[in-house]
Amino acid sequence: MSIEIAPSITGVSFDGVHFGYGSSGQAVLRNIDWQIDEGEFVVVAGESGSGKSTLLRCLNGLVPHFSGGRFGGSVVVNGFDTKQHGPRALSTSVGFVFQDPDSQRVAAIVEDELAFGMEQLGIARMTMRKRVEETLDLLGIADLRDREMETLSGGERQRVAVAAALTLQPRILVLDEPTSQLDPWGAEDVVAALERLNHDLGLTVIMSEHRLERVIGTADRLHVLIVGGTSIDGSPRGVLMQLDENLLPPVARIGRALEWSPLPLTIKEGRAAIRGMTSLPVSPSTRVDHSGGKPVVELRGLRASYGKRTVLKEIDLQIRPGEVIALMGRNGSGKTTLLRSIMGFQRPVRGTVLVKGVDVTSDDPADIGRSVGYLAQRPGAMLFNETVSAELAFSARHHPGHARDLDEILEALELEELRNRNPRDLSAGEQERTALAAVLIANPSLLLLDEPTRGMDSRRKRALARFIMDRKREGVAVIIATHDVELVAETATRVVIIGAGEVVADGPPRDVLSGSLTYTTQMNKLFGLDFLTVDDVLLGFGLHS
Amino acid sequence: MWAFAASVPSLLGRNPWPLLMALFAAIAVRVAWSEHMSSEASWSLFLRVALFFSIVGVIFNVLTVRAGDRVLAALPESIPLIGGDITLNAAFFGVLSGLALVSLVIVGSTMAGLLDWSAVVRLLPDGLTNIAVAGSIAFAFVPQTAISFREIREAQSARGHRVRGARDLLPILMPMIGGGLERSITLAEALESRGFGAAASGSASERRWPAFLAAIGLAAVAISIYLMASGHLLVAGISAVSGLVSLFLVALSGRNAAIHRTRYRVPIWSWRDTGVSVGAAISLLMTLIVLETNPSALRYEPYPRLTVPVVDVVLLAGLLGLFVPVLIAPQSENR
Repeated sequence: MSIEIAPSITGVSFDGVHFGYGSSGQAVLRNIDWQIDEGEFVVVAGESGSGKSTLLRCLNGLVPHFSGGRFGGSVVVNGFDTKQHGPRALSTSVGFVFQDPDSQRVAAIVEDELAFGMEQLGIARMTMRKRVEETLDLLGIADLRDREMETLSGGERQRVAVAAALTLQPRILVLDEPTSQLDPWGAEDVVAALERLNHDLGLTVIMSEHRLERVIGTADRLHVLIVGGTSIDGSPRGVLMQLDENLLPPVARIGRALEWSPLPLTIKEGRAAIRGMTSLPVSPSTRVDHSGGKPVVELRGLRASYGKRTVLKEIDLQIRPGEVIALMGRNGSGKTTLLRSIMGFQRPVRGTVLVKGVDVTSDDPADIGRSVGYLAQRPGAMLFNETVSAELAFSARHHPGHARDLDEILEALELEELRNRNPRDLSAGEQERTALAAVLIANPSLLLLDEPTRGMDSRRKRALARFIMDRKREGVAVIIATHDVELVAETATRVVIIGAGEVVADGPPRDVLSGSLTYTTQMNKLFGLDFLTVDDVLLGFGLHS
Repeated sequence: MWAFAASVPSLLGRNPWPLLMALFAAIAVRVAWSEHMSSEASWSLFLRVALFFSIVGVIFNVLTVRAGDRVLAALPESIPLIGGDITLNAAFFGVLSGLALVSLVIVGSTMAGLLDWSAVVRLLPDGLTNIAVAGSIAFAFVPQTAISFREIREAQSARGHRVRGARDLLPILMPMIGGGLERSITLAEALESRGFGAAASGSASERRWPAFLAAIGLAAVAISIYLMASGHLLVAGISAVSGLVSLFLVALSGRNAAIHRTRYRVPIWSWRDTGVSVGAAISLLMTLIVLETNPSALRYEPYPRLTVPVVDVVLLAGLLGLFVPVLIAPQSENR
């Protein structure tokens, strides 16, 4: 089955586009010239706060029609100038999918969600039924048609959002970080679906993405925005050659360091390059583990459940000072529940939680918070003060006697320049760092991080990794619940994999991750053995990064 | 309609008999249809809040109301504000008020759990769909708000924050309001991008009238409910009629739109729906008749003397209509 294509002038052209929010605000986009041909798969990248969302919103007229602000130059989409045609008029030319699958849905049932846009435009019922059928098949979600949106996984919801945008038969699909809220499997499903739409239907796909390794193999074009409003545009390989090393996916980073030509973008290209090599790197030595002493936290036979559903069964775990534990596993395997049980938010059905040898199983979370810092999945949600420094001071007030110095924390998290800004006006990444600072100022001896790299760009991610290592050296124990294998490879001293509420693997990262099919890094896929990070490989070649 | 009929006793008066009847009806419906309910868990928060306020109400009433003939105990007069007699009358009235509040919440949550909003949206005429879509989205916000409330409360208590007084609610309420606003902006963007409102074409002035009328209509209906609660039946009636008329005009105006919204599915009106509506209509009608003939049937005043509340058989018989959904609930498969 296929969706009919209406003949029209296709493609997008930006001509000297200039934009700033508010009447006097700083320019977010400066003099952008950009041509996108029909059928291209374009990836928009750039650090958080560089204006990716703004650029994408220009494509269907949300900027400037919805946002207001100063808009200069022109954007022409499928022959329509967005100055004259707003998002409603463009809804049949451009489909738009947002970051968070939850805040864009309007109906309770999958099929109704797909039909919503068509109902608004008054499309005949028979046509609607046909298009819903076709779109369900196209995205492989036909078996979800009668399901309630609430019961779907993140990846499924996001594919429903893509399907809902496609029922209006746009020729262009724009997606604003569609995978950033998903686990790796959900993200793969969404990217695979987009690739198929692009290949089979010739749909123009324009998406922003932080994890370039996910999409770089599929992309025809890469457009990287630089903070301040300018951009680099070109073939993925060409653009990666010019980019800052910190923004590259690991394969491209090692390729550039070893001067491979052409620069590899995917694992497959990397393997081809290795086959031509004369010498292989020396296997890395085991990381020295400095951790020791009495356990900071100890779980004994912990069992937790939501209603009748048991989420954790008999978990026994000890964490010592200076250990960085990566908690991995599918969504719903109980990672978050484990963290919440330590914090006292989730009372265990059985078993005990000991913090520094003291039973805290029935203590108030605010008391446990004296020695344990907890950063939830949406950390931005807890910010409420007028300024960043007031936010930190609020936490400090609750921990008299052992709070750390405010300036020191601001400096460690690169927040000095933002100290007088309102946290609500910051970008998601900046909010995340502010929240982390507000937790760390209490000087916890155990730090619990729930998916801290979600939606974070790779430069910030590496900064976070360095930061975790610094805390480790100070003797802080850290537990990170994450899907991010690259972060785990760089920071963890121990990996614990949870499956169906039980510990299924527990050991040093080289033992647990090496040779694993799903939980491993690009470097391990390339070089095998015990190699996990780019630095491991460079050291193996006798090079320093 | 069922929800409206069931809410009337709680809104109109404090007579315990009709109140208990409506409450039982609501609970029975919940139990009978429990397999078809969605998002129960998140409503429990609201129920707890309602219970909390009921208890506070009882205590407040007991401590501040001095009237009544059954004195339970006496606090020394020297204590300002709360000093004086503690009466059973005041306690009883507090309990009844609490009962009214709790039954309203149960009725509301039962409706939210059982009602298929998308079907309602499709049943309404063109001009009114905008209002109905807004209503359905507002209902979808309830569980999301409950989840974000939990997240924020946890995050703040992890920072050492404790809620001891009203001022301590600020760190929880502020992020909730901020987050709610951000979500609504994304939602508005999403609606816009998917062509919502495209049907309301025509010139700006043509579009303004229906919007204006819709606002008046909704306001009039809301006012009439309030007036009815405070006993001004005639004015309430006039207000309700004018509200419905303006909403009807809005519905008519939808017919002239350049693009007609279409409906993906025609909702099936089953005999069960008819049953529920008839039951609700009967109980509503009986309530109105009783109110006309005997205006005090729903009301009950425990002051100054605690008396046994009046039992109005006709009224109670009418409220039996609220139980219709229980009788026609589909048999569950495992039974």
